Amino acid sequence: MFGYVVRRLLQLIPTFFGATLLAFLVIQLAPGDFVTRLELDPTQDRESIANLRQQLGLDQPLPVQYAKWLSGILQGYLGLSLSYKTDVWNVIGQRILNSMVLVVLATLMIYLIAIPIGVYSAIRKYTWPDRTFTVLAFLGLAIPNFFFGLIMLFLAVWLSDLTNMRLLPIGGMTDEFLHLGNMTRAAQVLFPFALAGTLVYAGLFWWRNRQGQAPSFGVWVGLILFGASSLLMLAPLLQGPGLPARLPYSESPLWARATNVLWHAFPVVIVVGTSGLAGLMRVMRGQMLDVLSQDYIRTARAKGLNERVVIYKHALRNAVIPFIAGIGGLLPGLIGGAGLVEVTMAWPGITPALLEAISAIDIYVIMGLITITTVLLMIGNVVSDLLLAWVDPRIRYS
Amino acid sequence: MLVLAGLALAQPKVFKGTEPGRAGGAYRITSISDPRTWNPFVARETSSTDIISLFLPYLTTYDPYTQAPEGRLAKSWEVRNNGLTVIFRLREGARWSDGQAIDADDVVFSATVHADQRVNSNSRSSFILDGQPIRWTKVDQYTVRADFPKPYAPALIQGWYIVPEHVFGPAYRAGVQQLQALWNLDTPPAQVVSGGPFKLDSYVKGERVVLVRNPNYWGVDERNNPVAYLERYTVQIVPDLNAQLARFLAGEADTFAAANADQVAQVLERIRSNRLRAEIFPNVDVTLGTNFIVFNWNHKDAFKENLFRQVKFRRAMAHLMDKKSMIEVALGGLGQPQWSPISIPNKAFFTDDVAKFEFNPQRATQLLAELGFRSKNRDGWLVNAQGKVLEFNLVTNQGNNVRERIAQIFRDEARKIGVKVEYRPIDFNELVRQLTSPAADGTRDFDAILIGLTGGIEPAFSRNVWELNGSLHAWNLGTGGKNPAKVEAFEVLIDTLMKRGATTLDQAQRRQIYVQFQKVVAENLPLIYTVAPAYNPARLTRLGGMFPKEQINSITGQAPYIETIFAKE
Repeated sequence: MFGYVVRRLLQLIPTFFGATLLAFLVIQLAPGDFVTRLELDPTQDRESIANLRQQLGLDQPLPVQYAKWLSGILQGYLGLSLSYKTDVWNVIGQRILNSMVLVVLATLMIYLIAIPIGVYSAIRKYTWPDRTFTVLAFLGLAIPNFFFGLIMLFLAVWLSDLTNMRLLPIGGMTDEFLHLGNMTRAAQVLFPFALAGTLVYAGLFWWRNRQGQAPSFGVWVGLILFGASSLLMLAPLLQGPGLPARLPYSESPLWARATNVLWHAFPVVIVVGTSGLAGLMRVMRGQMLDVLSQDYIRTARAKGLNERVVIYKHALRNAVIPFIAGIGGLLPGLIGGAGLVEVTMAWPGITPALLEAISAIDIYVIMGLITITTVLLMIGNVVSDLLLAWVDPRIRYS
Repeated sequence: MLVLAGLALAQPKVFKGTEPGRAGGAYRITSISDPRTWNPFVARETSSTDIISLFLPYLTTYDPYTQAPEGRLAKSWEVRNNGLTVIFRLREGARWSDGQAIDADDVVFSATVHADQRVNSNSRSSFILDGQPIRWTKVDQYTVRADFPKPYAPALIQGWYIVPEHVFGPAYRAGVQQLQALWNLDTPPAQVVSGGPFKLDSYVKGERVVLVRNPNYWGVDERNNPVAYLERYTVQIVPDLNAQLARFLAGEADTFAAANADQVAQVLERIRSNRLRAEIFPNVDVTLGTNFIVFNWNHKDAFKENLFRQVKFRRAMAHLMDKKSMIEVALGGLGQPQWSPISIPNKAFFTDDVAKFEFNPQRATQLLAELGFRSKNRDGWLVNAQGKVLEFNLVTNQGNNVRERIAQIFRDEARKIGVKVEYRPIDFNELVRQLTSPAADGTRDFDAILIGLTGGIEPAFSRNVWELNGSLHAWNLGTGGKNPAKVEAFEVLIDTLMKRGATTLDQAQRRQIYVQFQKVVAENLPLIYTVAPAYNPARLTRLGGMFPKEQINSITGQAPYIETIFAKE
């Protein structure tokens, strides 16, 4: 096992060089460079354009540029952003964190909803709930995210007209000012959901206990998740008076900032989540159907095992194996951002920055992102291989 | 005693607003992208300079009411020596936000750095005249003298930013790298010294820039109250135009410029149904941007080169421009036809009295017949006596919907009379390369390009396009931007006019020169202009100090000065 891990890690080195070199070449194959757009500016003369190229090192041959960049990378320096004139990490660092908020929340939402629905659909295939889920799944897959994002924005405007309250945010990640009455607006909107969730999961908890069954993993997760969020929403009540009604974001207490970000993330996560949800739900259903038709399930049933045990202990455990293999892919996905919906809903994530960098040909920002993604993808693959070996008894590395 | 104190304090600039205002309130706008830097020597894009101009002063600019030169940090100026010398007198007592005086040292230092080739400031062309530097010297603490190698008209509209010498000086002396590293986006906003109406308060990447009033600003209104009135100025970064619209519709942004008829309709609908207290002014002016077709006069193919050099050919092409359809289809019904190079909003120099080759396919056919293209071949394309088909490629930059539609309309009209135009959108950088980089023998490899240049308020700033040795002499470009091999008489005339326009100081004479320039261009069509997109500004009614409808223009915008905008609520 140990030898296998070392071997995998050693393989990463040539892969890394190959991948970054390829990326570098592809970026450079596109016509023009960072300075090209200045050439159509009548107030610029040839001399200063040439100067700028030289200052930025764009006039040097490609191997030299790549070597310079590589030597920086090996020292942990991602390079200098051409348009921001600062370390690439300063440009993308905060944005990666912002994107992670969305991706983590959306992934949680997807897994928490898709797996149960997938299992349900598989067990009761071709019933009307299964068909409804199927239709919804295809709708979710069919609507492009950026378009759904726009619909959300206009829904937000429409809702605020209808109710005279700002129920949904109009894009962005934070508000300039937070209104701290007894509760933030975010808390007002989200608190009923969190409370309802807590009650439902607490009810399940209680019910299963009464039936003499141990609470399942899903119930635990749901209870903790919803319980924690409703507690968070209650925080303003505990804060009491003493705070002004309106504070700039940066001077507000942590709970207010957190709920404000969550509130802004809410519609974006729904948009990002739906398409992933739809896909995963279908995959889960297929996996489950596949496993349920296997011999060992038939054997288990023939032995007279409880249907619940057959499904949850034997079938589900095998059906989720491909998802565990997919966890490796999540890692680069975390920093890859949530895609165009970040642009349409003005979420300051990584996608707007990447698009800007691509259109300006800010090579080192692009390269920086590719590098981080490559490294995470490679590490993620190693991790998912190890996880697979742990979950799937048929795989052994030795 | 009071009078003395007043004198000792400052000689403030008086900002004449459109109505009496009052202090306080916030102004919220949206921007399509993040600023790149706070350092004016590094800044190259409007997303940065739009914010820098709120906190760094400049000597002079133009009067928003008359578009004539107007002093900012310069209290007055005096032109001497037949225009070779300009003496600027600065406002005494003006202070930076950190309390230091803004004086001649700051001005001369800033000019030196802007002119320094190693720094490569975006404003550098304001300091070099035909290869010779403009010399800036300090006369006394509040007097600065500029010596020009020859008279230079735009000298009085100096839009370059003045920086505090006590901040930038030590870094500059330590090396250009240090200077360029100053005031980047990671600099704490409190360290960014302001000499303008606002100062930086905070910046969150990808979200917003917040500026607050600079208490040390040297501006007052007509009743001698300090300006700016506004307490807070927020730039929200919203990278999507539809999201910007949503923000405005929700009343979370104070101004909005509708890009097309659809957005205008949405704003109008909302105002009419009383859900938004705002005003919108559709088509009140056009934007400064231009769109034109340029033909390649340095073609490898002698037949094409010769064809493109014929003024009759270009006029025929101009007659094929269905500008009405272009406005309807490409601009959604809002916009104006353009016939000559100076942008329509530039009232000081623009003239409508130029030759107009209006949409007229019969006339185009006739002109092409005069060039020998009398009959059509079996496929229906016009051919000359040797059987050569009248055909060329037209490209424009991919992704610019307006240009793509304009090009398609032109292509369709040309095909109707038998001119074979192959239209194709291509990558912007590839287009720039084709346009600006001639091969060693001076030829370039395109037929026709539909492109635009941003027009400014000062025609002399586009000298690179019009002078024979200009690096953007797009239709007939010499190798390295110098000395095209063959030139036409009208090009020489344009060159002369541009040079005279830049070196004449008398405003009336300058207008005459540029009027003649527009006539020559419209007559000879080296660039065939198409249509200009409309400027459709909208604003919430909570704002005061804005222009009434008749005075709104796309150069100044919706208000004469940011200093005199105020919040009514």
